[in-house]
Amino acid sequence: MESTGFVWPAVLVIAGLNVLMMGMTVVLRMVRSVGGRRRQALLKEADALLEEVLAGESVPEGLNALATRDPDVLSEAMIRHLSLLRGAQRERLVELAAGLRLVDYYVGEISARSRWRRARAAENLGYLGGPEVVGPLSGLLSDGDETVRAVAARALARIGTPEAARILVRSLGDPSDLTRLRVAENLERLGPLAVEPLIERLRSGEERASAMAARILGNLRAREAAPALLQAARDGEGVDLRAQAVLALGRIGDPEYVPTLLAAARDQEWPVRAQAANALRMIGDVSAIPQLERMVSDREWWVRVNAARALASLSPAGEKALVRVLEGEDRFARDRAAAALESRGVTERIVRDLTRSDERGREARRVVRAMVAAGATRRLRRLLDDLPGDGRRELESMLRTGEEG
Amino acid sequence: MSFGEFLLVVNYFVLGYFLLINGVYALLYVISFFEIADYTRREVFSGFSELFASSYAPPVSVIVPAYNEEATIAESVRSLLSLRYPLHEVVVVNDGSSDGTLEVLGKSFDLWESDRPVRMQLETAPIRGVYASSDERLVVVDKENGGKADALNAGICAAGYPLVCCVDADIILEEDALLRAARPAIEYSDVAAVGGIVRVANGCEVDSGRVVEVRTPREVLPTLQVVEYLRAFLAGRTGWSRLNALLIISGAFGIFRRSDLISAGGYSDDTVGEDMELVTRMHRTLREGRRKYRVVFVPDPVAWTEVPSTLRVLRRQRDRWHRGLIDTLIRHRRMLFNPRYGTVGLLAMPYYFLFELLGPVVELLGYAAFIVGLLLGVLNVPFTLAFFAVAVGLGSLLSVAAVFMEEMRLRRYPRWTDFLKLVLYGVLENFGYRQLNTLWRVAAIVSYLRRNTDWGSMERRGFGPGEPGKGR
Repeated sequence: MESTGFVWPAVLVIAGLNVLMMGMTVVLRMVRSVGGRRRQALLKEADALLEEVLAGESVPEGLNALATRDPDVLSEAMIRHLSLLRGAQRERLVELAAGLRLVDYYVGEISARSRWRRARAAENLGYLGGPEVVGPLSGLLSDGDETVRAVAARALARIGTPEAARILVRSLGDPSDLTRLRVAENLERLGPLAVEPLIERLRSGEERASAMAARILGNLRAREAAPALLQAARDGEGVDLRAQAVLALGRIGDPEYVPTLLAAARDQEWPVRAQAANALRMIGDVSAIPQLERMVSDREWWVRVNAARALASLSPAGEKALVRVLEGEDRFARDRAAAALESRGVTERIVRDLTRSDERGREARRVVRAMVAAGATRRLRRLLDDLPGDGRRELESMLRTGEEG
Repeated sequence: MSFGEFLLVVNYFVLGYFLLINGVYALLYVISFFEIADYTRREVFSGFSELFASSYAPPVSVIVPAYNEEATIAESVRSLLSLRYPLHEVVVVNDGSSDGTLEVLGKSFDLWESDRPVRMQLETAPIRGVYASSDERLVVVDKENGGKADALNAGICAAGYPLVCCVDADIILEEDALLRAARPAIEYSDVAAVGGIVRVANGCEVDSGRVVEVRTPREVLPTLQVVEYLRAFLAGRTGWSRLNALLIISGAFGIFRRSDLISAGGYSDDTVGEDMELVTRMHRTLREGRRKYRVVFVPDPVAWTEVPSTLRVLRRQRDRWHRGLIDTLIRHRRMLFNPRYGTVGLLAMPYYFLFELLGPVVELLGYAAFIVGLLLGVLNVPFTLAFFAVAVGLGSLLSVAAVFMEEMRLRRYPRWTDFLKLVLYGVLENFGYRQLNTLWRVAAIVSYLRRNTDWGSMERRGFGPGEPGKGR
C-alpha cells in the first residue's frame, strides 16, 4: 500500500465523473425543458396553419416548410385534428397529408433501420394513409420487433379495409403473445369486416390462432360463425379451442346451441366444462338446468362456481335446482349453492316471504330449512335485523331449531 | 505473518472487494440504463389507453392485509376500488385486528357476513368469517391473527381472479398503477410475477387517497431514502429483471399469477422477509418444474409509501429487511452457484450473498482495518484518504446516476428545487447515512445469529404496527 501513485488519479477520475454526471443530469433537464417548449411552439404553429387550411384558404407556404423540417410535429398536429373531424374536412386533411408528401415520407420510413422510426411510421400511416398503405404496412406485421408489429396491427385496423382485416387475421398465429393480443384487439375493433377471414382462420385447425379467432368471433357476437364454432366446440383438438368456441356460442346466445353446449358440459377437460356452464348461463335456457345441477357437484372448483352462478341466474327454476343441491349430500356443492343464492339476492327475497301462508311462503320455509341444515346461516342471521316482527320470530325459530338439530 | 502484514492483506482484500462490487454495480447500471430507455420508448407506442377497454385483460384481485388500520382503511379501500382497470375486486383481510378495523369497514361499505366459501389452497390461521358488500367488488375476510404473510395467503385463497395484486394497506397507488403493473402479465403468458416501483410519499400532497402533487420531503432522513429508493428500484431491480433474476418484488406492491403463487406454496409466515422469500421460492419452483417464465420489474406503475422519518424506526426497518435477506439466502442456499437455477443461481444468489449480505461486514471490516492500520502506522495516510475519497465518490456517482435515470425518462419531480435537492442528496448520503446503514445491517446479522437457535419459536406478530415504512 506504499504505492499511492495509482490512487490519486483514480480520485481525480471519480471526481471528474461525478461532476460530469451531475452536469449531464442538469443539462438533460435543461435540454428537455427547452426542447419541450420548442415542440409546443411548433405544434402551435402547425395548429394555426392547419386551421387556415380548414377555414378553406389555400395551403399556406409555411406548411410545406414545416412538412420538410418537422414532419413528426406536423403529423402529430394533423392527427390531433383528424381525431376531432368528420366528413369533408377530415378528407381534406387526409388529402393534404398526401399532398405534403407526408404519406410518402412515412412509407419510406417503414424500412428505416431504427425500430422507433418504423413504429412511428406505422403509427402515423394508420391515421394519414388510406388503402394504398395497407401493402407496405402489412410487411411490418412480420417485423423483427414486436412493438413495431403491434403498432402496425393498430394502424391496419384504423385503415379498416377488408384487405387489412385479412392481413391481420393471418397474424393471429404470431409466436409473440403481445402481437396476437394487439391483433385480436384490433380485429375486434374492425367488427364485421373481420368476421369472414376469422371464420376461415377458425377452420384452419391451427390451435392457437383458431382459439383466438373463436374468442374474437364470440366477442363480435358473429352469428354467421356459428356453424364453424359448433364444429370447433364438438371436434376441436385443443382444450383452449373447444373452451373458446363454447364460450363464443354462449355470447352469440342462440338456444339452438344448447345441445352442443350440454355435450361440452360433459367434456373431459374442466376448462371446457367451466366455459360450457358460463355459456349456458348466457343463453338462459331452462332445459340446461338438470345438467347444470349435476355440474354443481363437479370435481373442479371453477365448474361448480360457474354452474351455481348459472343456476342462480335461471330463476325461478334455477333457484329450485339450487335448493335441491342445498338439500343434497355433497357439502362442497351445498356451500356453492348457498353462496350463489346469496350473491343473486335470492336469500334476501326468500326471507321476506317466510310469513306468507301460500305456496311462496312454503317454498321460502323449505329453502331456509335447507340453508340452515347446510350450515349456511351467516347471511340469514344478518337478515334477522331487517325483518319485521313475525318474520323475525319465524326465522329465529328456524335458526334455533337448526342449532338444536 | 506480522499483525501489520495481516492488516495490509485485509486492506488489499477490502480494496479488491470494493472494485468487484462497484464493477457489478456499474454493469447493473448499464443494463438498467438501456432497459429503461427501451421501456420508455416502447411506452410511446403502447396504446395504453386502449388497454383500459380491452376484453383481453384478465381480472385482478387486489389483496390488502389489514392489522389495526381503523384510521385509514376506509379511505384506502375506496382508493383501491377506484383504480382504473377493466375488472378488479378488492379483498381486504382483517388479520385479527384489536382495534375497530372490521367495524369501520362494516359501516363504510355496508358489509354483511356471507356464506361465500373460501377455497383453502394454502394453510392459514382460522378464518372467522367472510363479509360481502353491496359493492360486489369488495370482499372482506376476517381471520385470527397470523401475521402479514398469513393474511396475504388467506386473501389469495379468497381471491376470485387469475391475477392477484398484493398491496400494503397504507400504500397509495396511482390511478393507472394496477393496469400498468398487470400489463406484462396481460401481454405475455410467461410472466409469473411483476413488481412496480415504490416511491417516497413523504412531502407529497395527498388528497382522497391519491398523490396530487409530487414533492421531495422536507426532512433529511426521508429525502435520503428518496435517492436510495431510486437507486434500488431504477438501477437495481430493472437490471435484475432484464436478467430474469429479480429476487425481490416489494411486499407493498406486486402482481402475481395466482396459480403460480399457489403452486409455489404462497407466502411463508415464519420469515420476516416474506416478499423476497416468496419470489425466490417462485423462481425455484418454476425452474425445478422446467417452466418457461419471467419475473419482471416495470418502472412506471407507482406505489407511494410513507418512509420512516426517525432513526429508530428506520433502524428497525433495515434490521428486518436484512434479517429477511439472510433468512431467504439460507433457506434457498442450494440455489447458490447452482446452474440448474440459471441466472438466479449463478448471478442473483451469489450477488445477494457476497454483496448484499456480506457487503456491510466487509465495509465495516474495511473501516476498522483502516483505523487500526492508521493507528499502528502500517497504512499510508494519503492512500487511506484517497481510497476513502474514491469510495465516497463512487457511491455518490451511483446515486447521481440513479437521479439521471429518473430524469432521463420518468421525471416525477417537476420542480427544479426538488430535482437539485435530489442531486445534492445523492452526494450527501455517502457521508454518514451510508455508514449508519452499514452498522445497522451488521447488527442485523448479529441479531439473526443470536435468534437463529430459537427461530422456530419466533413470536407471530402483526405486520409492523407503528412502522410506516414498508418500501422494500
